[in-house]
Amino acid sequence: MKLQTKINIRFLAVTFLVFSVAGVLFYFALGRVVDQNIREMLKSRKAYIDLNLQQNQPFVDSSESPDHTIFIKRIYSSNKYRQFSDTLAYDEEEKELVPFRKLTFSVKSGDRYYEVILLQSLLESEDLQKIIFYFMTGLFLLVLSVLFFVNRWLSVKAWNPFFKSLSVLSLWKVGENKAINFDRTGISEFDQLNRTLEEMMRKIQSDFVNLKEFTENASHEIQTPLAIIKSKLELVLQDKTLNDQQNQRIHAAFESAIRLSKLNEALLLLSKIENQQFVEKAEIDFCQLIQSRVEYLEELFALKRIEVVVALNELAIFTINPLLAEILINNLLSNTLRHNVENGKVFISSGNQEITISNTGKLADIEASRLFQRFAKQTTSSESNGLGLAIAFEICKTNHLELNYSFSNGMHHFSIKPKS
Amino acid sequence: MIEDEVALCETIVSYLEEEGYRCEHAGTVELGNEKVNLYEYDCMLVDIGLPDGNGLSLIKELKSCHPETGIIIISAKNSMDDKISGLDMGADDYLTKPFHLPELNSRIKSLLRRRKFDGKQELVIDKITILPESKQVLVGGEPLQLTRKEFDLLMFFVSNRGRMLTKESIAEHLWGDFADAADSFDFVYSHIKNLRRKLAEKAATDYFRNVYGTGYIFIE
Repeated sequence: MKLQTKINIRFLAVTFLVFSVAGVLFYFALGRVVDQNIREMLKSRKAYIDLNLQQNQPFVDSSESPDHTIFIKRIYSSNKYRQFSDTLAYDEEEKELVPFRKLTFSVKSGDRYYEVILLQSLLESEDLQKIIFYFMTGLFLLVLSVLFFVNRWLSVKAWNPFFKSLSVLSLWKVGENKAINFDRTGISEFDQLNRTLEEMMRKIQSDFVNLKEFTENASHEIQTPLAIIKSKLELVLQDKTLNDQQNQRIHAAFESAIRLSKLNEALLLLSKIENQQFVEKAEIDFCQLIQSRVEYLEELFALKRIEVVVALNELAIFTINPLLAEILINNLLSNTLRHNVENGKVFISSGNQEITISNTGKLADIEASRLFQRFAKQTTSSESNGLGLAIAFEICKTNHLELNYSFSNGMHHFSIKPKS
Repeated sequence: MIEDEVALCETIVSYLEEEGYRCEHAGTVELGNEKVNLYEYDCMLVDIGLPDGNGLSLIKELKSCHPETGIIIISAKNSMDDKISGLDMGADDYLTKPFHLPELNSRIKSLLRRRKFDGKQELVIDKITILPESKQVLVGGEPLQLTRKEFDLLMFFVSNRGRMLTKESIAEHLWGDFADAADSFDFVYSHIKNLRRKLAEKAATDYFRNVYGTGYIFIE
């Protein structure tokens, strides 16, 4: 969930809760006030009637005001009382029963006692209460929506530097040597965040570069001593006075030196590719390239009785460094040979600007993400250094090609196509 | 031999001297220039990366004063540019580091054959006669049918007569970058077996000696 959505939802929920509680309380308080008002009104009318009756005794035993709100009736008990109650009465104007507040009390006028009933319609006050309530609800909704938009606008404005930093971060790649630049925000927390981020990114960047340079330099420096070890061992192997056992021991050392040297070469190549040191690019006809490499390998395939079917019906021309193109195809073809089974199959096809190299293999489906990792050896074959596919993948990555792996019908498929 | 790594230089020189060549070496472009101008060589091996400059300039120099000298460039792997510009300047062959000593030896021999004898030299080893230019092999005067790979293999062995050739150097000679593709040592074995059988049928001599677990020697 987005930060702003979350803030807005919380804000709305809290505001709504506060306004509802306040609204309910307000409604009841309003009711109380109106009720109080009506009592006061009835009381003041009572005081007026009291005064009038005490001064002038009525001529009749019972009378009624024209608007049916005052009833006077003579009574024969001298109990003093005063009582409020609610009642329904027929209203001429409204032509229906409407609620009234009733005040019943007794008055002594001269020597007679009268009961007076005062009625006050509640209709108006109820209307008033309703109007006030609707008005308040409307106001509440208005305030709520205004607050909502103001809040949103404010939070967008306040969080803007944060989102800017976020986009800088998401565009940042460790390998790219781009200057890290955060704008000054003028908000101390964000400025502090940006400064911390900047420091961290610089550190990561320089660590990465150092590590890369170290690997490169180390590989480079290892190369010459290794070549010397190899050639010296080769020279020793020429010694005819050596017995078989000595010969084998030296040969084992020689073998390992070769392996180490090849591994080192592959690592160097990998870092060169990553550093984009193969600048020159050309339009390479992959069909032709594959055809020639397959012919070169024909014999190795034949010796393992692997059937190779080349169906390059459609031209596939990619823009890539010529040397890397060759390494890419070499690695993929070596792969089909190395991991294939006796009497296996290799199928190479093209179509839709895509080249697919498929082969049967010793293993079932392999996890694609692991496959292109360095040293992700599936077998403990000493001939493989575990870098071939990593190099192929890296070559494709730096030349705007896509190398994909899939497994179907018992075959492993590697396909190359331009990055879309 | 122009190479700045002394230990490597010594090894190469010692291997080549055993072949009967006279070798001189220089570790810098400057020294190399001096030697190239003073003497006439049959073949020059040049490392491209030298401490005081690029070995390619030496090729230019050599081509101007002794164009008949054969040139083999030695360079780090994966530098296509060096290879192309070197060959453009008139270098005859190209070898990437690290290489096997027998490979270098066989390249030098083939280069000298082409340069000195126009490739028309006949190689006679006991009953075997090899015509490198037409890629023909005669045993006791009779032609012997060999596949291309078998012929390559025979030439490799003949160039390094009496030398122990490791399985690795043979595989790399035959398949280059694919040498470690798959079970290539089995392939080396089967190729040698076939070649051995074919030669033995005609010449009634086994020229190959197996060095247990290590490689093979071709003996006259």
